[in-house]
Amino acid sequence: MNVIELRGLQKHYGTFRAVDGLDLTVRQGDVYGFLGPNGAGKSTTIRMMMSLIRPTSGSITVFGESLHHHREKILRRIGAIVERPDFYNYLSAFKNLELVGRLSGADVSRTNIMRVLGMVSLDERAMSKVKTYSHGMKQRLGIAQALLHNPDLIVLDEPTTGLDPQGMKDIRDLILALSADHKKTILLSSHILPEVELTANRMVIINKGKAVVEGLVNDLLNAGKMKVTIETDECASVRTALSTTPWGGRITGVTEHAVIMQLDRAEIASVIQHLSASSIHINSVVPVRSLEDYFLSLTSEVV
Amino acid sequence: MMLAALRVELAKVFSKWRTYIGFIAVGLLIPIIVLAMGKEGNQYFSFATQALSQAFEFKGNLMNGYTVAYIVFGALYIHIPFLVTLVSGDILAGEATSGTYRLIFTRPVKRSTIVTAKYIASMLYVNMMIVWMAILAMVLGVAFLGTGEIVVIRSQITIIAEHDALWRFVLAYGFSALSMMTVASIAFLCSSLVENSIGPIMTTMAIIIVFTIISAIDLPMFDVIRPMLFTNHMTGWKLLFDDPVPWPRVFTSASVLVGHMVVCFVAAQIIMQRKDILT
Repeated sequence: MNVIELRGLQKHYGTFRAVDGLDLTVRQGDVYGFLGPNGAGKSTTIRMMMSLIRPTSGSITVFGESLHHHREKILRRIGAIVERPDFYNYLSAFKNLELVGRLSGADVSRTNIMRVLGMVSLDERAMSKVKTYSHGMKQRLGIAQALLHNPDLIVLDEPTTGLDPQGMKDIRDLILALSADHKKTILLSSHILPEVELTANRMVIINKGKAVVEGLVNDLLNAGKMKVTIETDECASVRTALSTTPWGGRITGVTEHAVIMQLDRAEIASVIQHLSASSIHINSVVPVRSLEDYFLSLTSEVV
Repeated sequence: MMLAALRVELAKVFSKWRTYIGFIAVGLLIPIIVLAMGKEGNQYFSFATQALSQAFEFKGNLMNGYTVAYIVFGALYIHIPFLVTLVSGDILAGEATSGTYRLIFTRPVKRSTIVTAKYIASMLYVNMMIVWMAILAMVLGVAFLGTGEIVVIRSQITIIAEHDALWRFVLAYGFSALSMMTVASIAFLCSSLVENSIGPIMTTMAIIIVFTIISAIDLPMFDVIRPMLFTNHMTGWKLLFDDPVPWPRVFTSASVLVGHMVVCFVAAQIIMQRKDILT
């Protein structure tokens, strides 16, 4: 079942096209990476999905129903952080959750609010005013408010921005737990590629308001050429052995103990076999296909 | 859902320090005025009536709680709009400033419901302010100075009998609540247009000042618009201390004020429905 379907979504500000005919499908149970450089249109898309701004054209269907016609029914099933985690700074975290929970029709009992605050490790500071919170704590409180009414779909817009490495890992672990243990569908917007690489199963990369590529994260990671590091003490022999093959031109660098090549995944085994047949001792082969490389290659004109 | 939204709005309004500025200001000022009137009120009264003192003799407890309440009311009436705009000017724009529109408008509640709840919360605040002012002025005035006739000094002097005073005060406070709700409604509309709280407060005060000046300048070219200006009708509460009360004028003024409130509320609703939340 498709949880989110965007079709031909557009948002124009005068002549500027913030989102320009975006198509996107998120399926139930997905942790869906929504990637793009700053200004690509991610937050504008999320704002349209959360009915904060009105699309210029196109359709938004969530849980099989039009957002335009069933806004309240749909929002009841969505929890979201949209950009910065802003709260009523003069109120405590507990009171903030109580107020937004009332508007969401959530269980605002002390037990439930403290349970959700416990999920993001804020239960001990529940009664502190939000103005005393660090950015990381506000970010975690943002996740708590998104979870309070037990939504089926969680939309997280740059949830780890400004967090330290431990904070980022905590959020990543929480996202994985929400997906695996609680069967939530998650749309994760980010420009931090490893975050998506480590958490999402499917993703789209958008640039200038358009989808550049969409698919399974693993497929996208495996698509195209990979950087392969062949560690050996016989670098010169490797160059010689490969010089008469089609792979000779794929060598992009040579160090004292390694030869670096650009290869398709399917070619790696053949190269190793050829080197072995040439009696060259290989210590290890490290293929690296980073999403970052892929992302940069797709969006290079603006990054 | 409306009740839940209203409850949320009231909780926010009454958690803010600025909400209490008006109550504190009125709470400090009225006791001072009442005490000063109790001590030196007769001098004030003699000054106000000196032109008539050769033709008339004033007897009885004229500087009493009712008269003081009337004077306090007239004096503070000019300044209360500044205080009511503190809340109603902030109630929408404050959400934009703090980025919390994103928090409330992503909830499964219609925008119109949230905007209505905010409007009702603003109006409740205004009414609480007027009630607070009324209670302080009446209770302190009567407690310190007792009751008696009200001497209303305007273009003519009207003396209201003691037994005829209380209902006039009740209606006058009711009318002034209407006036202040009109001011609050204008601030509310301004608040829907901008993304900081200072703008609506300053704009509302500017509107009041400009309209008051237009109302006061007796030029034929203003004759057409003057009856439509709310500032021309805000002082309608004074009509309730005329004898007899000119009821048609009171109702006309009240209708103009209600008309302004309705227009401001509907306009704010339309603006908020169409607004893209970009903050």
